[in-house]
Amino acid sequence: MKKLISATAILLLSTSLASAEGELQLFNWGDYTNPELLKKFEAETGIKVTVTDYDSNDTALAKIEAGGGGFDLVVPSASYVQIFVEKGLVQELDLSKLPHHDNIAKQWMESSYDPGRKYSVPWQWGSTGVAVNKTAYSGDINTSAIFLDPPPELVGKVNVTPEMNDVLSLAIMYEGGEPCTEDTEVLKKVRDKLMEAKPKWQSMDYGMTEKMAANDVMASVYWNGAIFRARLKNPDVVYGYPKEGYPLWMDQVMLLSDAKNVDEAYKFLDFIMVPENAAMISAFARYANGITGSEEFMPEDMKTAPEIIVPAEFVSAGHFLPTCSPKAQEYYTAIWTELQK
Amino acid sequence: MAERGFSVSRLPGFSTVAVMVFVALYLPIAMLVVFSFNSGTSVAIWEGVSLRWYVSAWANEQVKEATFRSLIIASAASIVATTVATMAALGTTRRKAFKGQTLIYVMINQPLMVPEIVTAVALLIFFATIKVATGYQGLGYLIAAHSAFCIPFAYLPIRARLEGMDYTLETAAADLYATPWQTFRRVTLPLLMPGVIAGMMLSFVTSLDDVVITLFVKSAGQDTLPTYMLAQIRRSVTSEVNAISTVLLGLTVVMLTVFFLLTRKKD
Repeated sequence: MKKLISATAILLLSTSLASAEGELQLFNWGDYTNPELLKKFEAETGIKVTVTDYDSNDTALAKIEAGGGGFDLVVPSASYVQIFVEKGLVQELDLSKLPHHDNIAKQWMESSYDPGRKYSVPWQWGSTGVAVNKTAYSGDINTSAIFLDPPPELVGKVNVTPEMNDVLSLAIMYEGGEPCTEDTEVLKKVRDKLMEAKPKWQSMDYGMTEKMAANDVMASVYWNGAIFRARLKNPDVVYGYPKEGYPLWMDQVMLLSDAKNVDEAYKFLDFIMVPENAAMISAFARYANGITGSEEFMPEDMKTAPEIIVPAEFVSAGHFLPTCSPKAQEYYTAIWTELQK
Repeated sequence: MAERGFSVSRLPGFSTVAVMVFVALYLPIAMLVVFSFNSGTSVAIWEGVSLRWYVSAWANEQVKEATFRSLIIASAASIVATTVATMAALGTTRRKAFKGQTLIYVMINQPLMVPEIVTAVALLIFFATIKVATGYQGLGYLIAAHSAFCIPFAYLPIRARLEGMDYTLETAAADLYATPWQTFRRVTLPLLMPGVIAGMMLSFVTSLDDVVITLFVKSAGQDTLPTYMLAQIRRSVTSEVNAISTVLLGLTVVMLTVFFLLTRKKD
């Protein structure tokens, strides 16, 4: 018992002194940070990075907004970047401390939510598309019709991810509207289309890397990296980029206003913009990273993967989802609630 | 059994329903355990028996740190919770019934009634203020939070034990000029011990399992095993999580068995 108490005391003390030199606290999505990357960083700089996991943007925002968490860096999704900036939770980056900042690919440098990348450094990005098992359907898969007007072969075999923004954006673009539209005519069509399609779906669920690989589901709205991993297990799985328009997403690293290890954080941010290091991030979670020149350091199977390297003809159909106005959010939620009944 | 009274077990379909209930309860857990021994990377396709996920979990620094942290928090919280609960149980049972007794019971057992998320949000805001003001970000907050919600789990078995003990031995001790402290130390506490240990184990397991409150209270670098696992499965379910769950399950079963053996004694 005494040992236990003294062990506890030591642990209490040691964690309270945790912001000593050479430490960095990274608050990131679970299963998203390559341990090899952190080892390499520690070997080069002597800075030990501690990762704390979160499972949603909302959790991360709530904890950081409450304050006192002791985090230095956070990795929010695109639609949350503006929220963190507007609430003053993150600081503007001093670009003179980031010599590799120019490595950010042009496409991502000019992002609508952080033009010039003054607040954030890319971590990983991907797309939401439709995955199909070739043995079940051999027609055109680069269309949202796969789940909105399922071909007879796929009726009752389609899964739809329960992600409101992704699904509604796909449906809105399919009906010719813009994501976050407030046009009720378009939204009505979207609702009718979804309600009409729903009886032809098999499920609304996650976990498709497994289920598509196991042939349990023949088609699904899903994310490119997950489908890439499914294809490595089951070569019949193919990923389609809906030509009517599909959502792009990106998670990026931001420096918190109350960060204690600011110098260490800058070193880390610069470190992950070096192409071979960025490639290590991709090698682990299997998504592209937004750093020019990182492709050549990626694992062989990723260099040519059509799920990771977007074929030229489909690039223009990819759209970043803006942060919707409260009114558009309300419409989204209303349709989504009706759909989930 | 002279007369045939009402018995659930004689209702039609009793065994069918019972079997279904047990299947629903245990089949998913059995699947989880089976797939923790899968040699493939999938949790849906069986590829052969192997211990690779146990090895990989064991080699994973983050898992080890989270496990150690979970055990420290659970040990500290169960000690604090059991001490407080023992005192509370003595205070509420070793005396004549008093006014407001029910209110006290309700207040002690409050963590069982209040939705966990409400407590979690309240603690997030409350602790954040203290964290900012004092700069202390250690494990103390998690231990305090866990101790608080573990109290009823320790209190209930201890109180049950106390209510089953009559006053005769304590009265006898007092007759033989034992001081109140001696009576407690030499008579009450030894008799109470099975209840105390049971309470401590229940609160240990409860602390070990907690997700919601931990998620909201943890500071940088304070993932426990359950919060680590929760963040893992968002992206993909790997058999490593199955392996960790199986170990956690094993630990819980052992503790609950000990709890059962201790409480069964003398009844």
